[in-house]
Amino acid sequence: MNDLVLIRKNLFRRKLRAILMMVSILIAFAIFGVLASFERAFNAGQDRATPDRLVVVNKINFTQPLPISYYNRVAAIDGVAQITHFSWFGGYYQEPRNFIAAFAVDPENWMKLRDSDFVFPPEARAAFIRDRTGVLVGARLMEKWGWKVGDHIPISSNIWSQRNGSHAWDFIIVGSFTARIPQADTSVMLMGYDYFNETRSFGKDLINWLTLRTTSVAANERVIDAIDGMFANSPYETTTDSEKAFNKAFAAQLGNIALIVELVVGAAFVTILMIVGNTMVMTVRERTREIGVLKTLGFSGGRILRMVLGESILLALLGGLPGLGVAFLLITRVRDSLMSFVPTLSLYPDIAAAAVGLMVVFGIITGLVPALNAMRLNIVTALGRS
Amino acid sequence: MRSIILQILAVTAINLKSLPQRLWLSLATVIAVGLVVTVLLAFLSMANGFRRTIADSGAEDIAVLLRSGAVSEINSVVLRDQVRLIEDGPGIAKGPDGKPQTSGELYLTVNGIKRSTGTKASLPLRGLGPQGPGLRRGVVITAGRMFNPGSNEIIVGRALGREFEGFELGQTVTFNNTRWTVVGIFAADGSVFESEIWADLPVLQSLFKRAGAVQTVRARLTSPAALETLRAYSDNDPRLKLDVMSEAAYFAQQASNTSDLIQKLGWPLAIAMAFGSLAGALNTMYSSVAARATEIATLRAIGFGGFSAFVGTLVESLILAAIGGVIGAAATYLVFDGFTASTMGASFSQVVFNFQLSPRLIGQGLLLALAVGLFGGLFPALRAARMPIVAGLYG
Repeated sequence: MNDLVLIRKNLFRRKLRAILMMVSILIAFAIFGVLASFERAFNAGQDRATPDRLVVVNKINFTQPLPISYYNRVAAIDGVAQITHFSWFGGYYQEPRNFIAAFAVDPENWMKLRDSDFVFPPEARAAFIRDRTGVLVGARLMEKWGWKVGDHIPISSNIWSQRNGSHAWDFIIVGSFTARIPQADTSVMLMGYDYFNETRSFGKDLINWLTLRTTSVAANERVIDAIDGMFANSPYETTTDSEKAFNKAFAAQLGNIALIVELVVGAAFVTILMIVGNTMVMTVRERTREIGVLKTLGFSGGRILRMVLGESILLALLGGLPGLGVAFLLITRVRDSLMSFVPTLSLYPDIAAAAVGLMVVFGIITGLVPALNAMRLNIVTALGRS
Repeated sequence: MRSIILQILAVTAINLKSLPQRLWLSLATVIAVGLVVTVLLAFLSMANGFRRTIADSGAEDIAVLLRSGAVSEINSVVLRDQVRLIEDGPGIAKGPDGKPQTSGELYLTVNGIKRSTGTKASLPLRGLGPQGPGLRRGVVITAGRMFNPGSNEIIVGRALGREFEGFELGQTVTFNNTRWTVVGIFAADGSVFESEIWADLPVLQSLFKRAGAVQTVRARLTSPAALETLRAYSDNDPRLKLDVMSEAAYFAQQASNTSDLIQKLGWPLAIAMAFGSLAGALNTMYSSVAARATEIATLRAIGFGGFSAFVGTLVESLILAAIGGVIGAAATYLVFDGFTASTMGASFSQVVFNFQLSPRLIGQGLLLALAVGLFGGLFPALRAARMPIVAGLYG
């Protein structure tokens, strides 16, 4: 009989108690897995942003427009490598609650800029540039509505209307694209700006923001100053920021999600830590006599310490790993219904790795006090204590 | 009957007096239940405060007219001709001057800095005419004065001024190269309008190049029932075809998404944590029963019934859970009640609200705590009741 068997037998000596402990550890790690994934998804914008990408918005607020003429003027600034403009379409499909994240862009330059995030099949790329009424739809959005390339789809706008008074545009899906990196959100739709601009009844020649890539990160500061300086004291002043800072500010508007997640996960862990820690102390105390016998048989203090710690770590893993599995199942289930809200929700491997690390730490913390007590136990007291 | 009650009282007293022997384990259960209740009540009071701030802002006898499908004010566009048609519409109350009580309004967002975090946030800037404030409940200027028509002056809601920098009385702010002076601070009965900045409509229209068009029209109805008349009027005129709803319905719909989301997060989290602490409670109670095995057997041997052992254990568990629940509710009250927060509302702009704990929510928290106590005590209590006397005496 090696130590591992002994550890396992010890753990399951009182089956009910062991199972109860595992259930509570399972719940703590399921909460951790789900909340950490949500927090990651909320902050996905910051993770996706590369340092050489800048965003130019209206100084008053990002919902205020900019003139399309800024596109060429900013593109001509020294240090700007690639650039595209965006207009918010405010799209929905069939009913206002079926929100669709749709943007009007310059097709060719938008695809160039986002080549590092998305995979565009060559025929989709060519068709999107060629076909003025065509839209490019991300893979997850296609999947959600069961659309196929070639479908005609009516997309309504909750802001714009066509010159004929209609709020809906008929688009043809000319292609789709997939994510190159996991944080890239493919639940979006892109349309050509020219067609959108010609057909809308107001807001002509305005856009919402510009996204650009600088020639190098070192040029960022100079480019930011050049852009904001160029439009200072004009009717449309600009604020230029790194994409990361812009996305971070946007996420921060929802409130301090990171803090809420930390508090809840903290509360769950403290709860479980107390319960499991106390139980481990009690369990080991009940075994005082036995430990005395083991020591008499020649088990060293260190070996006893390792055995108790091994038991608490094993307990943490047996509870925590299924907990992580529960978190994974939950997230896969709610993924699609929350697509428009947190598009990149997923249990990433590094979150799972962090959870496993926490399980080991958790096991050590809950087992440390009883393990040290057991190690230091004097044979005479152990056998004498009744 | 009387003897059973006396037995129960005696056993319960013994159980409770022996609590200090299991101090740490019992304390762990109490704190675990307390944390569960705190988490639940923090979420519920947040959802409640948000909902109350927004939903209570709307009146039943005010109609809000938006472009069809616009959902929120920021998306909507209502053209000049449509505003005239609405003014002529049926069901709209007339003021003392005989004019229909309507207000065409512009709703824009501008940047401000949140005091607590120093980060940029979008704040609503509303352009309204002379009738606008009168269409809202309890609008009073608490400092300074009302803006003068035709001037670059703004008045700032009380809640917004508290939470965001740069809008103190007398300060100037720049939008579109024009300087605006804060000439007044207003209160609006704690409603969502206190999270807004107000300016004169025509000035805002010309500076933001929106001449003629507004985003929404508000109208005072002759009675809440007149809403249907106005809606029928709008539906039957192809030049209008607007979404017509009561202000109360508009705000209820704006609030529901966010407050539902908070509640949908809060309850499952709290229930999951409750199961976690249930495991702890069961453990505590099983060890309580195990520790008292000899005692229970002795009592049984001298004629006490199994039922009293059952009740005694259950009451111990319920009391531990109740203490935890009360501690949790008190902690939430002390830490979170009245706590001011702001989040992004449906129009991409900030809404300032307070966490609000209510007796009903506290009741829900305590109920959850007692449920943990009940289930945590039930099975150990059954074991105590069924324990064979002989095994207990020799255990």
